[in-house]
Amino acid sequence: MGRTLTQIAAVTAMNLRSLPQRKWTSLATVVAIALVTGVLLAFLAMANGFQATVAGTGSNDVVIALRKGSESEINSTLMREQVLLLQEAPGLAKAADGKPLLSPELYVIVDGIKKSSGLKANLPLRGLGPLANEVRQGIRIVSGRMFQPGTNELVVGRSVSKQFRGFELGAKMRLASQNWVVVGEFDAGGNVFESEIWADVSVLQGLYQRGSTVQTVRARMNDPASLEKIRAFSEADPRLKLDIKAEKEFYSGQSRNIGDLILYLGWPLAIAMSFGALAGALNTMFASVDARAREIATLRAIGFRGTPAFIGTMIESIILAGIGGVVGSLGTYLLFDGISAATLGSNFTQVVFSLKLSWSLVLQGLILSLVIGFAGGVFPAWRAARMPLLAAFKEQ
Amino acid sequence: MTLVELVRKNLFRKKLRTTLTIVAIFVAFVIFGVLATFQNAINAGVEVAGADRLITVNKINFTLPMPLAYPTRTAGVAGVKQVAHAEWFGGYYQEPRNFLVAFAVDPKNYLDIYSELILPPAQREAFLREKTSIIVGKASADQYGWKVGDRLPLKSNIYQQKNGSDTWDFTIAGIYTGNDQRVDTTPVIFHYDYLADTRSFGDGTTGWMILKTADAKENPRIMREVDSLFANSAFETETKTEQAFNKAFAEQLGDLGFIVTSVVGAAFVTILLIVGNTMMLTVRERTNEIAVLKTIGFTTRRIFGMVIAESMLLAVIGGLLGIVVAWLISFALAGPLSRFGPVAFSFDTAAFAFVLMALLGLLTGLIPAYRAMNTDIVTAFGRK
Amino acid sequence: MSEPLIVLKAVTKRYTRGKQSVPIFERLDMSIPTQDFVAVMGPSGSGKTTLLNLLGGIDKPSGGEIVFDKKRMDNLDESKLAAFRAGNVGFIFQFYNLMPMLTAAQNVELPLLLTKLGPKARSERVKTALEIVGLSDRARHKPSELSGGQQQRVAIARAIVSDPKLLLCDEPTGDLDRETAGEILSMLQTLNRDLGKTIVMVTHDPEAARYAKRTLHLDKGHFSEKDLAA
Repeated sequence: MGRTLTQIAAVTAMNLRSLPQRKWTSLATVVAIALVTGVLLAFLAMANGFQATVAGTGSNDVVIALRKGSESEINSTLMREQVLLLQEAPGLAKAADGKPLLSPELYVIVDGIKKSSGLKANLPLRGLGPLANEVRQGIRIVSGRMFQPGTNELVVGRSVSKQFRGFELGAKMRLASQNWVVVGEFDAGGNVFESEIWADVSVLQGLYQRGSTVQTVRARMNDPASLEKIRAFSEADPRLKLDIKAEKEFYSGQSRNIGDLILYLGWPLAIAMSFGALAGALNTMFASVDARAREIATLRAIGFRGTPAFIGTMIESIILAGIGGVVGSLGTYLLFDGISAATLGSNFTQVVFSLKLSWSLVLQGLILSLVIGFAGGVFPAWRAARMPLLAAFKEQ
Repeated sequence: MTLVELVRKNLFRKKLRTTLTIVAIFVAFVIFGVLATFQNAINAGVEVAGADRLITVNKINFTLPMPLAYPTRTAGVAGVKQVAHAEWFGGYYQEPRNFLVAFAVDPKNYLDIYSELILPPAQREAFLREKTSIIVGKASADQYGWKVGDRLPLKSNIYQQKNGSDTWDFTIAGIYTGNDQRVDTTPVIFHYDYLADTRSFGDGTTGWMILKTADAKENPRIMREVDSLFANSAFETETKTEQAFNKAFAEQLGDLGFIVTSVVGAAFVTILLIVGNTMMLTVRERTNEIAVLKTIGFTTRRIFGMVIAESMLLAVIGGLLGIVVAWLISFALAGPLSRFGPVAFSFDTAAFAFVLMALLGLLTGLIPAYRAMNTDIVTAFGRK
Repeated sequence: MSEPLIVLKAVTKRYTRGKQSVPIFERLDMSIPTQDFVAVMGPSGSGKTTLLNLLGGIDKPSGGEIVFDKKRMDNLDESKLAAFRAGNVGFIFQFYNLMPMLTAAQNVELPLLLTKLGPKARSERVKTALEIVGLSDRARHKPSELSGGQQQRVAIARAIVSDPKLLLCDEPTGDLDRETAGEILSMLQTLNRDLGKTIVMVTHDPEAARYAKRTLHLDKGHFSEKDLAA
């Protein structure tokens, strides 16, 4: 056993020492594997960032009511009568004056112009009820102030002002032949709300000829367990054909589709590219074994066994792939981590999110690179282990 | 034997190595072909857009409605030949995941303007005659196995019927095809009047208008005039060419162009390295033989050409295989990706693939060929 | 003695190794008549191979003139030299230097790819060349399926297939056993005698040199006196 280890160490050292002679070949393999790892991690970071943003939205203490089957806020409609009935629901938290903490909301789409591309994109404009601030928690005005109810004032999420043109504090704009002004900017902890524009619901109802209808109702519950009571309440009343969901659950459901889409795109691409990189790794390692055929055979001739030749070659391959994996992860981190991207979310509006690398993702990338290194080493290593002794004496 | 054969024989000497290299090239071209097809699907709307068609939407955003009186008023603008209007139904079949692109339109004008939708005359007449009839695109008909005459219940995730039901019943009057493979044949199209009469809200409004103009050169003036017609009303409009509208629509998904270019770029840099590296190995191993060829009288130019030809051959074999497989995959993707647009492998993609093959062959061959060309006979033999 | 095929006039050849300039020949004169068969002998480093390279247009002299068939060739550019080699010189190496992926016939055909001959004419020439070296029955074999002597005969066929005037042989029997070496050398003799090929052969084997018409001894860049008289 000890002898074998010594032999392995000797052969591995010999392989690694001769690396500089094959530096361009080895470098090409390292870069190829780094690129594969990088592509995979970029996609994983995208999916991760998107999911973190969308799934990080919403609270378990907030209930959201939508028209049955509408799936998303944009498709939902609730009548005034339904909003009033909901105020009677059990388990709702109450304000000091005894009113339930409930916010009827409108959700319409306006155009924004992306700073990055100069192109139009859909932005959500949400109308909030008077108690919205008590319903949602964790919203912080970071500059300016909240809008005054009953006025044409807007507050915008941080992502909106960062990614879209003309939403800075004090900016004026025209929406449906009326003048609006941005009076504040809010932070919502990096979630979907930061991609929204908020205004007073009653002003928007007038502006968009919605009469007294709204799209959704959000309400704060006494505790997450109240959800079932509210749902039972809604189902007992034929006038309330509604979907009742916890806000958190509502958003995590929405993140699934697009997050999955990115993943389903990223993994197959990375695997396809891995086959390409694997071909490169195999070529490099076969060339490495061939170049050292005489040395390997000579070692065999003087009594080294096949195992050290096998393991030595495997180690070389795995080390090269490992370097590629680390370089790829580092490159992705430096180039992509934290950069902003935006895509259409389930409400047909833009969701701004940041690419987010995590250790578990990096681990996935490293595993992929090591798998390439392993597969790329095993056949050449086999050839090395079975190198005929005659190769030591062959000319050339 | 010919020089070409000599190149071919050289290439396939190390069968394993050459096969592996071809696999790498193959993979890159499959990635390219599939992603380009995906991008085509998203851009198809832009390419088939008629130059003489304009789209008028609510100025705030195209998801917002406009009064039903607008189409008639717009038809009066000089240079507008025909106007149709349409409404988004938010339709699905049986379950929400069977999402359908469903439009409620004024049928005659709509079919006149979208002349790329091909419908047998008898089916067209039947459709126009019956208010509760619907026409379905071939792609959707194939996907769900619908036939002419079938009853088709569709649900909406936006509207409800006045009677509280969320299901509308239709009879399939026809199945349309496109006059070009890029035409999207997933949408289903039915009578606006049927929706307007039955829905519980949305009275007196429609979604957007499609304008056919007499002369594309007049478009800028017509766009201005239409929009000024409704300026300062509660429903201001914005009119764009269909092409610009479709393009903006596709861009909303995100910067797909950038993602596709980056991934294809990474894949190609990878194979550039792998193939270039392999060619270098090959040339280095053959130093002696190259010296022999030179001794026999092969000129440096010819040696250079032979190495380039070899890397070209490598790129073309791998590239062609990749493109053929990408083409096959595009059929498999047609179903799952249909919601993005009609999936088809385009001639442009194939043409660009050939440019890529040539570039790949050239770039990977250049340094090794240069090296081979400069192989010095004296030192090559001196090595022994 | 007949017309000289090659004349070296005051040829100088130096190599630069690092900063040092190492002289191989200083003002070397030499004349090889048409249909001569010369063996060049000498210790390693005496410049035998360099001489062969100069004669074959592989290497260029640092000074002096080389005249082949009354035409100066030391001042030709790279592509003219390649054409010169293709048309006038056949090379035979110690280690045969055949292309491993080509059959014997295809190896022989290689130089003809540089000519304007059509496929039919080429295969005629290949057939004849293989007949001359007595390997017609091995035409479709790969080098790895041939013995050393057979491989060298393929190499000879390759050298004569384009009918050059001059054959240059660098230790042609250095890798062969005595008997096979004899066969190869007799073949060279036949080529010289019957086909009128001028042959220059570098060897360190006195036995091999005996097959030549005359032997030159090269030492420290000069031919020894007795040879010049011969």
